[in-house]
Amino acid sequence: MRRNLDDRLPPLEQFVRRISGAPPSCARSLTLGAQPMPATAFMELALDQAKFALDNLEVPVGCVIVENGKVIASGSNRTNATRNATRHAEMEAIDVLLQEWQSIGLDQTLVAEKFAGCDLYVTCEPCIMCASALSILGIREVYFGCPNDKFGGCGSVMSLHESLLSDDLTGSQDTRSRGFKCTGGIMAEEAVALFRNFYEQGNPNAPKPHRPVRVDQQ
Amino acid sequence: MVWELTEVPGNPTPLQHSTVDVVAANIVPKVTNTLIRQLNQVCPLENLRHVKRVRRRVVCGENSELSIILCLSTGPDNCNEGFPEEVQKIVENYHLSPFIAKVASCSATSKEEWEEQCRLWPTSYHPPHDIDGVSGFKEEELPSIFHCMRTAMQLSQVGNTAIIVDPSSMQMISKATDQTHQRDTCLKGNKCAMVEADNANSFPEAIEDKADTLLPSSSRFCNGLDREVSCINPFGWMKQRCTEQKTLPSEGGFLWHPLWHAAVVAIENAAERDRMTFPASTSSTTQPKLNGDVDNCSDDEPAKRLKIVANDEEQSTHPAHSSDLPERNRPYLCTGFDIYLVWEPCTMCAMALVHQRFKRVFYAFPNPVTGALGSVYRLHGKKSLNHHYSVFRIKVPEAYLNGSTDCSEKGCSNSVSS
Repeated sequence: MRRNLDDRLPPLEQFVRRISGAPPSCARSLTLGAQPMPATAFMELALDQAKFALDNLEVPVGCVIVENGKVIASGSNRTNATRNATRHAEMEAIDVLLQEWQSIGLDQTLVAEKFAGCDLYVTCEPCIMCASALSILGIREVYFGCPNDKFGGCGSVMSLHESLLSDDLTGSQDTRSRGFKCTGGIMAEEAVALFRNFYEQGNPNAPKPHRPVRVDQQ
Repeated sequence: MVWELTEVPGNPTPLQHSTVDVVAANIVPKVTNTLIRQLNQVCPLENLRHVKRVRRRVVCGENSELSIILCLSTGPDNCNEGFPEEVQKIVENYHLSPFIAKVASCSATSKEEWEEQCRLWPTSYHPPHDIDGVSGFKEEELPSIFHCMRTAMQLSQVGNTAIIVDPSSMQMISKATDQTHQRDTCLKGNKCAMVEADNANSFPEAIEDKADTLLPSSSRFCNGLDREVSCINPFGWMKQRCTEQKTLPSEGGFLWHPLWHAAVVAIENAAERDRMTFPASTSSTTQPKLNGDVDNCSDDEPAKRLKIVANDEEQSTHPAHSSDLPERNRPYLCTGFDIYLVWEPCTMCAMALVHQRFKRVFYAFPNPVTGALGSVYRLHGKKSLNHHYSVFRIKVPEAYLNGSTDCSEKGCSNSVSS
């Protein structure tokens, strides 16, 4: 569903980079006293990110990454603005963290330790690419909203969150695929509603379908 | 041994021999059209649209025999009863003698399968790659395909290498190597690659002088598994510990990136090239958001400007193509492009290639650990995806791999067959 929609949209102007333009709510810490926040509270923030994507004519998917009950990064889909269809919300949020951690001098091992303590809240099931990426990074847990029937990598099309493989061809644990705990269906209706808005909003700039993209064969 | 190209099917068992029984009858030629029309009305073959209604085959030398499908068979020996009423009428009116025939239950996914199906009963076959012939490439493309792979292998110093090529112009769109580890050349090499790719307008010529040189370090291709390849060892990044942690460049960027496998970087380089080459096409899109005047910004305006830009650029290097240029627009993502990878991609990279809409994926060496295009998974065979590319494996001759090193023959064949 997600990527289908991308077809309708032309890329956007180089608009302000994510954080500066993102809704302010995502930057604040989310702890009420000593009470741990319920999953829905973080999903609300992920939904805010998705709405931000929608406002910018992007496919409305958003996410936040949480460490110790605090939102430490957020991201929204930027596939049109970047003309890079791999710039999903998850990838945007991950890059925020990598940049920050590298800038304070964390090396690979420390970064890996950090990711192992992080949870992701994303409005739509991570696609096969993002699910693989989350496994590569070793993220602890993933919570998602609606399932992604066409590309979902956490149960819908593939199950990359499950630890499987490998007959250990190299004799090293490095090559084993690593799973993560995954919970879906959190505020799924809200996530779907955003997709529906996206459809209804339409797109006056949509490219003509089947436009020629290459020189005819000679 | 020579360079070889084989398609990696998305379906592990492409030759499905599953058939269904239909009731058919021999007919005389002059009633054929009438019967086709009537039967298509009273008994359309809803789930067998790939099956032709009529079969013509030659019996006893030059006599041809025509048979027509009446309806689906409802039982093993149901030749004469249980037809829909209208079909029964046709059988009676035309004095037909129904018999059971077998037809392929699914449309063919390859030319070979189609030929096999037609031995039973003719079917129609629509190859997925209609422009490029049945198997996704033209015979005359082979030299340039192998050439591209040689180029990728030569660029491959450490880890995997990806190059993106527009096959319609043979232009190199971008190239990249794995950037998961911090290396001295890491950031610099990446930037250079992009600039070079921009300049490499006439791609085959640009690399011609290098084409016949030997591989810089071909022995590493012969070990079967290269642990430096990010797709083969996706968790290897965690184990890296820098002796000297460099400071980040102030304008951003990364010293290393766990997800920057060659294919991912190549895609970003191509996207950046797109943004730089065609900046005009974005300028109109946020504007309407601000002033609310969305309707004035049709897709045509930036496109027109782009054509002129493309024209100037292209004419200097490809005069032969100039007549086609009015058709030539900025591509949508990497639609129509090919990507060459020295090693088979992992699931993350393979899915990134789906998102970015590549047309064809070529790789030389399989990745038995995480390979998503044939070795462990067959991502390109997942029907639910909204885009499908074709996948080819290029078998590199041992002689080429052996060229400059003492790589043993055994090691080579292991790497190829695994």
